[in-house]
Amino acid sequence: MSSLNKSPDQAYWRSLEDLGDTPEFRQFLDAEFPAEAEVPTDALSRRRFLQLMGASVAMAGAAGCRWPEEKIVPFASRPEGTDPGVPRTYATNWELGGDVRSLLVTSYEGRPIKVEGNPDHPLSLGATDSYSQALVLGLYDPDRSKRVRDRHKGDHAADWAAFDAWAAEHFAGLKARRGDRLAFLVERTSSPTTRRLKARVQELFPAAGWYEWEPISRDNARTGAALAFGKPVETGLDLSRAKVIACFDADILNDHPAALRQARQFAEGRRAEHGSMNRLYAVEADYSLTGGMADHRYAVPASLVGEHLLQLAAVLAGEHHVDLGVAGSLLHGSDHAPAWIRTLATDLAHHRGASVVAVGPRQPEWCHVLGHVINAGLGNVGATVTYTDVTDPERGATHGASIGLLADALHDNRLDTVVILGGNPVFDAPASLDFGAALAKAAHRVHLSVDDNETSKACTWHLPRAHVLESWADVRDVDGRYGVTQPLIRPLYDGRTPAELLAVIAGEPRSAHELVKATASSLVGGEDGWNTLLQKGLLADSEARAASVSLRAEGVAAAVRPAAAARRPELSDTNLEIQFVRDPALYDGRFANNAWLQELPDFMTKLTWDNAALFGVSTAGALGVKHGDVVSLAYDGRTLEMAAYILPGHASHSVTVSLGHGRTAAGQVGEGTGFPTYALRSAKALDFSDGLTVSKTGRTYLLACTQDHFAIDQKGKEEREKRSHTLIIEGTAQEYHEHPDFVEHRRHIPPLVSLWEERGYDGYAWGMTVDLNSCTGCNACVVACQAENNIPVVGKDQVSRGREMHWIRLDRYFQGEPDEAKVAQQPVACVHCEMAPCEQVCPVGATMHSEEGLNVMAYNRCVGTRYCANNCPYKVRRFNFYNYNKDIPETQRMVYNPEVTIRARGVMEKCTYCVQRIEHAKIQAKNENRPVRDGEITTACQQTCPTQAIVFGDLNDPNSRVAKETANQRSYHLLAELNVKPRTSYQARLRNPNPDLAESSDGHDGHH
Amino acid sequence: MEQNKSDRTSFEFPKWANAVRIPVSLMAAGAPVFVLGLLYLAFWPGTTSVGYQPQQPVPYSHALHAGELGIDCRYCHTGVEVGAKATIPPTATCMNCHATVRTESEKLQLVRDSYATGEPVEWVRVHDLPDFVFFNHSAHVERGIGCESCHGRVDQMEVVSQFAGLNMGWCLKCHREPEAHLRPVDQVTVMGYEPAEDQLTLGARLREARNINPSVDCSTCHR
Repeated sequence: MSSLNKSPDQAYWRSLEDLGDTPEFRQFLDAEFPAEAEVPTDALSRRRFLQLMGASVAMAGAAGCRWPEEKIVPFASRPEGTDPGVPRTYATNWELGGDVRSLLVTSYEGRPIKVEGNPDHPLSLGATDSYSQALVLGLYDPDRSKRVRDRHKGDHAADWAAFDAWAAEHFAGLKARRGDRLAFLVERTSSPTTRRLKARVQELFPAAGWYEWEPISRDNARTGAALAFGKPVETGLDLSRAKVIACFDADILNDHPAALRQARQFAEGRRAEHGSMNRLYAVEADYSLTGGMADHRYAVPASLVGEHLLQLAAVLAGEHHVDLGVAGSLLHGSDHAPAWIRTLATDLAHHRGASVVAVGPRQPEWCHVLGHVINAGLGNVGATVTYTDVTDPERGATHGASIGLLADALHDNRLDTVVILGGNPVFDAPASLDFGAALAKAAHRVHLSVDDNETSKACTWHLPRAHVLESWADVRDVDGRYGVTQPLIRPLYDGRTPAELLAVIAGEPRSAHELVKATASSLVGGEDGWNTLLQKGLLADSEARAASVSLRAEGVAAAVRPAAAARRPELSDTNLEIQFVRDPALYDGRFANNAWLQELPDFMTKLTWDNAALFGVSTAGALGVKHGDVVSLAYDGRTLEMAAYILPGHASHSVTVSLGHGRTAAGQVGEGTGFPTYALRSAKALDFSDGLTVSKTGRTYLLACTQDHFAIDQKGKEEREKRSHTLIIEGTAQEYHEHPDFVEHRRHIPPLVSLWEERGYDGYAWGMTVDLNSCTGCNACVVACQAENNIPVVGKDQVSRGREMHWIRLDRYFQGEPDEAKVAQQPVACVHCEMAPCEQVCPVGATMHSEEGLNVMAYNRCVGTRYCANNCPYKVRRFNFYNYNKDIPETQRMVYNPEVTIRARGVMEKCTYCVQRIEHAKIQAKNENRPVRDGEITTACQQTCPTQAIVFGDLNDPNSRVAKETANQRSYHLLAELNVKPRTSYQARLRNPNPDLAESSDGHDGHH
Repeated sequence: MEQNKSDRTSFEFPKWANAVRIPVSLMAAGAPVFVLGLLYLAFWPGTTSVGYQPQQPVPYSHALHAGELGIDCRYCHTGVEVGAKATIPPTATCMNCHATVRTESEKLQLVRDSYATGEPVEWVRVHDLPDFVFFNHSAHVERGIGCESCHGRVDQMEVVSQFAGLNMGWCLKCHREPEAHLRPVDQVTVMGYEPAEDQLTLGARLREARNINPSVDCSTCHR
């Protein structure tokens, strides 16, 4: 078998330190707990400890030998239908940058504690992303704004009555002047209620300006569509029908309004058992999740992506006679196209009507036009690509232009009153506009926002906004479906929604509930319809019909002609490209105070608590920049010093920076993390530009990176390299079709003999399987687990020592040459070994194996020897080195899941297969005298996974999904040669490389 | 006894120590055992918990309501069949009767105030398990464990007191031998239940019929 002995070139490596076997990497490999707890945060000496212990024993004697009296406090009048202790679930929706996510939120005794996806909603299909999972923590953020603040002179706490009185008078005066010298700055929203009120306010204040700003914007796609079709439309992709997917700087699996659905469709298209696999090509500068899943990825600076798109179009038109209309005639010859473009074109041309060319939102509008032209030419429109009308067709200016117009108006002293609904423009407006200084010129500045952020500090009125989990609102998703946001809890700090504020300004104050119900009543039938709408979270059959659009030749020509003729920038080590991307954890900076998101290791870089300037390997080498160096980025007359991060697979001559860190008014968690990259961004190039120069400063910065933590050691480096391909087992689709059992031949496991008697499992036998073919690395499972199991946040210092507490980690491996590295991902949590090494060494019996196959932890018995973690070959046990749950503010304690113990210092913890959910389901089933049904128990990670990569269930039930998946021929156990008999199995990843491209990873000759 | 202190290199017991040698060594050996035994008994749940009878803000008498009047446990403790917590009734439940019954009683002043103002009555918790223990009432009540098996004859208590230690060993005893306490599900709230036949026989039969296999895994209660 050619696949049996892989060459060391095909070995997997976690990081460049791993590849180079540097001392930094060995430090983590050799000592799982480096730098032991010799560094106490509080200087409690041993003597003092004994003194305190002695005192407390004496006090215990005095107190009466029983714990303190506890009160039990019922309602005075319990709401009908509720039972304390029984959680309830409500459907709601929320928007992030105007893109809708549909949720089911679990509420325990009146407080929301866990977010799930709404399984009835076609956009989420029951899944969520990491931003949604972290919503509950944002709700209980103790740094949230609690009071209205009057900052006309100084900074005084005020209340709504004071604001309402001021507003009534002020806006009455403005109404008399028809809204002269008044401007509104809003965020992108699809909410029909807010738009209805906007129309009302525009009626009353016709001269007022309306501006919309989103720092992370999809407007290039919008204007591109408008240019191509004559009106803006949303592009919907149906990946279930696509066999060839080409993404040009487009992260369609993670950064897209319909990402959850697309990821699910993509994953289903990867199941080789169901037929042929789809094939994904990615052309991008930084490493996105789509690039990680790609069968072929080409690292190309963002400025040159469009060039390749032109080449692709030229080849399609020239050699495959794809009808590209007027664009075909404008394109140059296809001689300059590299071989891979030709192969891609061939692949696309062979799959007309079953292919997709996707262009990302950071690419200029002409690229989008070209994408539409190519899709139309390939016959994809109506099959894999559909168009629907946008929810806000009347918006004229793009976000970038809009904020520029507002800044101009402010600089020219044309405005007295500015009302800002949400957002944080003082922090995230392009630096070239100097928005902070401009804003100061208006006499009255009103800001409605959830936290008292940089913009609020610069305004004369700060108004607390209701968090999305406290709000009544409505949404229209990208398919046009109508949904309602219903609150899970009354506003904790009496916040208001933007719609309510607009109503106040219009002089017709109403509660948000009334406003939304008024909008909804025009769509639903009466009270029953309203209740059904609330229960389901969406209005059935309300999606928009596909917009029938056709390409406009003039539009296409206007876009393609100058683009084809334009010269691309000459990138070099002294003229680099800078690319501004959304932060995978903080989005645009609004989640800076959310500790779960700050500590979430970014999938590709594994960075926590900071952002960094991402460099490709060869560019960094040429510049002499090492990982962690502080470099000075100079662009467009502005400079910023940032830490550098060398990312294998990043394009050369390109530097990616993520936006959102470096906040100055975010709260205790969010201030001072990372670097303020908005300070570099210019209004004329919001997405990317050349003209960046990088120079070293000689200083270094500690980046808390988890990539080398918990590395599974395997008898030395040589052995590790030889065996690295057994942690992740990968094959190609071709190999799978020829040898479906290729997984068994990848490694040789000697006959396994157990020292202990193995026991049988008659009842339930819980097990799990993780499909590496489907996991995209989106990180939603990590946050979901944290939310469900009360996992603490430890802070940057502790993370840098390898003490992050996430029970499930996403291991990301690179493979191949550093500049063109491929990525493989593997979610690892406790695999619940039958012959668990940890159970065998616990001196106090705190961890034992249950009768149903779970490796359980009894926290109260653990004394903290850490022997179990030492023995775990998967390195999945986490130790509470400090009491991370001490000093948590009272509001934030409301986020804890009461069904799970909160661990104190000195206690070991790990994944429990969500035992609280298992027990809950078992008790329900027993009470109803029936066995637990398959699918009734979903672990937190499983429930939130967009691609359903994780499956949990009863292995003893032959009809359960998990039993069938475990019997799958791609299935293997991690570290099976240790005979620990894990209950979690993995399914090998399959890549589907194009046989005509030389990157096939197996030794077969290329043939169709 | 004259001794040159600077020459002395080792300690010598005075002669009278011989006489007290045996009693002293017995006490030295027995003292830790005694102290440990004392501490064990002091912290034994039977000592610290059984009989705990805190004073409640409202002098509610179970003996009157559950005993004399015969109100079923579940009338007030509604969560006991649906969830983990049995729940204490809201003031509104009291007012179901007391809106018309004993409306002038001083003892009910707090209850009436609570209903009027919406401020809850703060009862003192009697049966309290540590936070790392997750007990589920419905799993027991729905399967045939009587209220009195764990809570005792509440219908005879003027003031509620803790009947059993509720420590882990006590729970495990029943989990290992549920036959000793099982009863038909419709008899769960009956106080002073006497089975028609021998408890163990009845229990074994019920166990078989309803497939009752209480788990003794740690994860059953410790999550």
